[in-house]
Amino acid sequence: MRRMSSDSFGGSRRKRSAKRCPFMAAGWQSVDYKDIDTLHRFITDKGKILPRRITGVSARFQRLLNIAIKRARYIGLLPFVAQD
Amino acid sequence: MKENKQLYEGMYILNATLSEDARSKAVERITDGIKEQGGEIHKVHDQGRKKLAYEIRGSREGYYFLLYFTAPSTALAELWREYHLNEDLLRFLTLQAEEVREEIEFKQLPE
Repeated sequence: MRRMSSDSFGGSRRKRSAKRCPFMAAGWQSVDYKDIDTLHRFITDKGKILPRRITGVSARFQRLLNIAIKRARYIGLLPFVAQD
Repeated sequence: MKENKQLYEGMYILNATLSEDARSKAVERITDGIKEQGGEIHKVHDQGRKKLAYEIRGSREGYYFLLYFTAPSTALAELWREYHLNEDLLRFLTLQAEEVREEIEFKQLPE
């Protein structure tokens, strides 16, 4: 039963490429709010935090990244909302 | 009883329209405030004038300082109270720190 359904839907499905967390791959221990060059890579042009399904960041580093981005926003290094 | 001291890093945004004199006075006011609370300054990073990502109290620019200091854990509440009264201080962020950083530079994250 299970077999049949996977056969009928599985054909066109794209194989997911293996993503690795860039922070873990580089052996980082933490993410600093002052490091805005790195933080910039994980926000959109509008200033929104990118979901980890797109960036491939591990859960642990997504959490650290979130804190860092929000600190950077508070201290005026990153925008809450970018308009220009 | 020995007081429990903690290492902190504080980032301060001063009004960028201050003259150089007024600015160094404003920094002194911050460092003196920490010393008054029994703290000790370890490092002052003058990060210069930076464009703010958004307007803070009508300013588009700020003058950034990063301080490393140790202070008794009870001192922070009093310091914050003072900072809120300081008109030249646009914003501040004080966090517990693990080490005094001599240079504020970061490794690049590989692609």
